[in-house]
Amino acid sequence: MTETGAERPVWPGDSGQGGRGDDVAREAVLARAFVRLADTLASDFDVVDFLHGLSADSVEILRAAAAGVMLADGRGGLRLIASSDERMRLLELFELQGAQGPCLDAYSSGRTVQANAADSRARWPVFAPQACDAGFQLMCAVPLRVRTDVIGALNLFRGSDEPFTGTELAIAQAMAEMAAIGLIQERAARERNLLASQLQAALNSRVIIEQAKGMISEYLTMTVDDAFELLRNYAHYHNRRLSEVASDVVDRRIPSAALARRHGQHF
Amino acid sequence: MREDGRRTRIMAAVTGEDATAGADELVQRLCRFAVDEMALSGCALVLMSGVESASVLAVAGRHARTVTGLQMELGEGPCLHAHAYGIPVLLPDLSAESASRWPAFAAAALAAGVHAEFSLPLTVGSGGIGTLDLCRDRTGMLSDEHMADALMAADIARDAVLYQQYAPSGPGLPELLAAAGTDRIVIHQATGMIAAQLDDTIANALARLRAAAFAGGRSMYDLAQDVVERRVRFDD
Repeated sequence: MTETGAERPVWPGDSGQGGRGDDVAREAVLARAFVRLADTLASDFDVVDFLHGLSADSVEILRAAAAGVMLADGRGGLRLIASSDERMRLLELFELQGAQGPCLDAYSSGRTVQANAADSRARWPVFAPQACDAGFQLMCAVPLRVRTDVIGALNLFRGSDEPFTGTELAIAQAMAEMAAIGLIQERAARERNLLASQLQAALNSRVIIEQAKGMISEYLTMTVDDAFELLRNYAHYHNRRLSEVASDVVDRRIPSAALARRHGQHF
Repeated sequence: MREDGRRTRIMAAVTGEDATAGADELVQRLCRFAVDEMALSGCALVLMSGVESASVLAVAGRHARTVTGLQMELGEGPCLHAHAYGIPVLLPDLSAESASRWPAFAAAALAAGVHAEFSLPLTVGSGGIGTLDLCRDRTGMLSDEHMADALMAADIARDAVLYQQYAPSGPGLPELLAAAGTDRIVIHQATGMIAAQLDDTIANALARLRAAAFAGGRSMYDLAQDVVERRVRFDD
């Protein structure tokens, strides 16, 4: 078993086939993959699509048979988010169920894990035979990590027992780190946007409620305190939010007179 | 200086021994820090949603509250622009500004003794929640180092306000906002009354209130007070 070996720093074309044209084509694929990995702040970003893309790209670029991504669920566990194929999906579910396997180790240690068929049987006696039955011999998992923050792991399996080269592992780690940076930024941006819109709504509703109080007090010739009382009673009676009712009042969707008409309020 | 180091240094300066300070305390100290460290005369943290609903959440030094109030009165000025467009507005010499973008604001600020004004937006995504406003009683641009500190202070203030609702201690968001000044309430109430008197929209009512105050040489607040107490009507 190796933890990020560097035995063969040759990539691409290290299977001995292909020439310069192949290299250029692979570099283009790699470049496209990194552009996709950087693109997490688009308004229509979808985390599942994003990680399916990561799985598919890593299969193509790293000559893996299958790939899958698990993410931390916020309660210390991992959840399967994306897989390059159905075999991988079932296997990863099995890994989670059995609580042993490369992805879990990469996630808990924050380090890249690679094991050939023999190593994997020693390390994960329940999981490895299942993987072998599914047609995978070589198993690798790379943490989705930014500095000390590990948010998940990328599983890479091969049908042959040929280990990933040092260069391939370096590429896998770079892709995983890029994905992790993108996901963390996207989460932070989404959370901040949500909080900001809540704050804006709170600020706006304060203003609109005061405007509605003024408007009602003018239409119905009463004090602003009495107007507020009407507004509150109306919202309560109709089981609506005060800020929504106030907004309807200032936009004249609710005539001020309607506030006084209901449930026995007379002024 | 790396930005991580800058954030750490400013946070250390404003939290000191007391790491549990709530957002209200933190933004207050950020304003004080800005005044002391950047040779300012005043600093204010202003929350904004629509243009007409600014709340001064924290203020330190002189002038800052006045400058914000002037912009609300006039409906123009650097903090409104910075918030609306999400870009810093830097006015190192307000006397040079008097003939350009915001002549009424520049004249009023100069009369109040403010000669330079810098307004930094608290941006979130493509929008924002307000501004950090810095003012000086003399002309001159902020140094690069002070500018970088001020931008970081704006980020820290933004995060403190946004994440307040998750804070284990200190006031929640409603308390924070309730404390953020209620001096504009009478203006909002008067706006609603004028809209009813004129059978017009809120936006037009506000424009009428502002124009009448300006024409009469009065503050919007004073005129709004007269409207709410029914001494002045707009449909006469």
